[in-house]
Amino acid sequence: MNIFEVFTRKKPRAPSLRPSEGLFDDDFQRKLESLAIVSRRVFRGRLRAERRSKKRGSGLEFADYRDYAAGDDFRFVDWNIYQRFGKLLVRLYEEEEDLSIYLIVDCSGSMGFGSGEKFKQARRLCAALAYVGLANLDRVTVVGVSNGRVSHLPATRGKTRIFKVFRFLDQLKAEGTTELASAMKTFVTQHKRRGVAVLISDLYDPAGFEGGINMLRYDKFEPYVLHVLDPNEASPKLEGDVRVYDCETGEAREVTLTEKLREQVQTAFGDYRAEIERFCAKNQVPYFAAETEVPFDELILRVFRRGGFLR
Amino acid sequence: VIGLGGLPFLSLLGIFAVVGSATLALYVLKLRRRSMVVPFAPLWRRVLRDQEASELWSRLKRIFSLLLQLFLLALLIFALGDPRPTARRAAARNVVVLLDASASMKAHDLEPSRIEVAKERVNALVDGLGSGDRMLIAEMDADLTPLSTMSSDTLELKEAVRRVRASDTAADLTRGLLFARDSLRGLEGAEILIVSDGALGDLKESGKGVDLAGARVSFVPIGESGDNVAISQFSVRRYPLDKSRYEVFLELCNTTERKVEIELSLLGDGQVVDVSRVELEPKQTLPRFYQDLAGASRTLEARIKPLGDAIDRLPADDHAYALMPERRRTRVLVVSPGNTYLEAALLLDEYLEVTWIDDRAKAPAAHFDVAVLDGTVPPEATQADAYLYLATPATGGPVKLRRVIEDFGFDEWDRKSPLLRWIALENVQVSTGYALEPERGDKVVGSSELGPILVSGNRAGHPFVALGFEPKNSDLVLRVAWPLFLLNTIDAFVEEDSQYLSSYRTGEIWQLPVPGAATTVELKGPDGQIDKLAVKSGRATYFGRNAGFYELSVGDGSERSTTLFAANLSDIDESHITPKKELTLGSVPLAAAQGFGAGARQELWHYLVLAGFVLSVIEWATYHRRVTV
Repeated sequence: MNIFEVFTRKKPRAPSLRPSEGLFDDDFQRKLESLAIVSRRVFRGRLRAERRSKKRGSGLEFADYRDYAAGDDFRFVDWNIYQRFGKLLVRLYEEEEDLSIYLIVDCSGSMGFGSGEKFKQARRLCAALAYVGLANLDRVTVVGVSNGRVSHLPATRGKTRIFKVFRFLDQLKAEGTTELASAMKTFVTQHKRRGVAVLISDLYDPAGFEGGINMLRYDKFEPYVLHVLDPNEASPKLEGDVRVYDCETGEAREVTLTEKLREQVQTAFGDYRAEIERFCAKNQVPYFAAETEVPFDELILRVFRRGGFLR
Repeated sequence: VIGLGGLPFLSLLGIFAVVGSATLALYVLKLRRRSMVVPFAPLWRRVLRDQEASELWSRLKRIFSLLLQLFLLALLIFALGDPRPTARRAAARNVVVLLDASASMKAHDLEPSRIEVAKERVNALVDGLGSGDRMLIAEMDADLTPLSTMSSDTLELKEAVRRVRASDTAADLTRGLLFARDSLRGLEGAEILIVSDGALGDLKESGKGVDLAGARVSFVPIGESGDNVAISQFSVRRYPLDKSRYEVFLELCNTTERKVEIELSLLGDGQVVDVSRVELEPKQTLPRFYQDLAGASRTLEARIKPLGDAIDRLPADDHAYALMPERRRTRVLVVSPGNTYLEAALLLDEYLEVTWIDDRAKAPAAHFDVAVLDGTVPPEATQADAYLYLATPATGGPVKLRRVIEDFGFDEWDRKSPLLRWIALENVQVSTGYALEPERGDKVVGSSELGPILVSGNRAGHPFVALGFEPKNSDLVLRVAWPLFLLNTIDAFVEEDSQYLSSYRTGEIWQLPVPGAATTVELKGPDGQIDKLAVKSGRATYFGRNAGFYELSVGDGSERSTTLFAANLSDIDESHITPKKELTLGSVPLAAAQGFGAGARQELWHYLVLAGFVLSVIEWATYHRRVTV
């Protein structure tokens, strides 16, 4: 299951991730294939697929009637209506199209803090969600954000493209600052087709985490927040006089670590998480905490399903 | 008010400057904080917002921490200076402790023994020394042994006390006082402390002639009770005419105020020879003879054991030891034309192996212990260790004949000479003989008014005895004195004494005869300790401290020969162990020791180090509780 250890190798083998290496074992893969990302809104698709769309077309689900017009296919004329009322009406069906899923991975320095567990967890989640999307013929776009800039894997469909996703994730590095607002601004500018935007981040943005999420909301995306957390961050190991450095900004502060201060720090981390949860709840943005200590398959198969993110 | 007994002030200042600088440097280094990377500093900023408000107080606390460390350092460095109140230093005393290590201090009336309790008392005195006081510890038995220098170092003094051992000797207080006086000469606050049970002999005599030059003498009494039963004398002798048998004289002493019953055992060569029960009246001294004993050829030991409710506090005088000379046949060569009196006398001792030859015969090839020459000179090539001349010949004898004398007897004789033991010579009549002319170094054992007639001496390493008349020309041969004279002389030649064998007494310097020409000997004591002794003029000198059997070894390897001898306490004064609570030296009663109370030392460095330790603990606690950081 710990496939991203393979990612971190300097010379990955090609293809770097094979099922036999434990990315997704057969059983887990089957389970992923049965999952789908839930979209609470209906977006316009681009290609025929398995998602309901606003378009009327050749799907199986009956949608409505309209008057016959010259040129309409006679196969869709409802002859029973014509017999009863003498009017020629044509049956309309819902068109099933694909869904655009954007998986936005925070690649700032804070995600690689410590042993880099958060970044590994983020990439594992991203890969799993990408597979779920690809297996449902959705258009999956993977985006890495750092320093306010965006690097992305162009939208792709089909399960076979999962290896492309893996390679893209493997190339991502956790460095730079977290500037979610400007990064999301760039993202919405570059991606006109609206869809589900899953933000996988620790949300350690000095300018505030709200800006990035609001940018997605305001531009009609359906944002999901996967908050990656490492509980060890709230429990510093050192004691006594220390100089505290921010891993992204380099901001320094002299601190004497005492038991009391340690408790205050833990409280501050808890408060910050509660603040994010409150914001998401208030703005109807689905929020999921993805702790590094929770196995990611459990997150995928249980937590996300229970929370309605997957079905 | 406070003076420094250790390092001078300037030195302390220098040390403080150096170590203080080092402390400051370490403090600055301590301020260099360790780095800790955090993922999101704004969260820490929120937490630290409240702390920043008290940053000034934090800095002050840090300075307080530094000042505390410097103060701690100053305390410790000041302790190096050994500060003491000046007033106490001026009144400092110099004390000589005479710790009684005589045999009576081995008494067990105190647990574990008087000497151990005395050592504890002296240790307490050491602890009670004042700040400027100095002390010297001396072990006082028959000798005086200083065990430390005049020092204020309690460790050195206590080590000296630890080395004190009680011996089987009497204490020589006069010697101790003389030593103390010499040690304290010219010193201020001179004081002598006698730590003893008071069994110190005649104190009026001890104090005589010892000018203590104003030194204060104090007495620390040791001991509680004096119940004791002792063997105060012990002697043994072989019978002159039957040396396989012996008789024992011993003296028992009951120092208690009640009647006691004891078991007295005699051991010959380690085997029990006789066991008897003896009752002793209060304060009784009881001499006892054991006659006609047999069964021991070498060592003899007497032991007493109290029976019933008898109390014996001093085991040291419950043993006495004696060693009998080794029995062997003496080879005697008699050169005589025929002498019935001589033959009859020599037959009395069955341990004599007598060879008779005519005065004209050749000397036998064998070696003899003694050659008896009856009016003749030794034949050529005679091999004998000693010579007895009866009727010394005019030529070839060891002494010259001065002149012929007639009708004479013994007018003077050496009554202590072993040759004449048990002999009465008053009425011996001699018809004719010679006055002898002894040489320088010879000893006249007996003489008439006409000149010496019995002379002993040494020629070329061989001892001789020369008689100035022919025994047959006197009535000596008809007397008991005749065989006694012969056997005494032969015993004296072979050093086989048949007098009472009073062993060596402890507490005296022993002159131990050493056979051969050895220059060093080894002496193994009763406690197993081996000492190497130098030999001078055929004797080794040794100061005997312990009772028991000693082993004197000469030579190495196959040529090694060993001689045993015994030593006894034999001092009734030491057996009277009743402790004295007060002591009078001369006519002056001795005062109790004063000024050795707890805290008299007033060494401030202890308190300084303690204060430093307490401050250090406080600093440690406050640091780890983040009070001073």
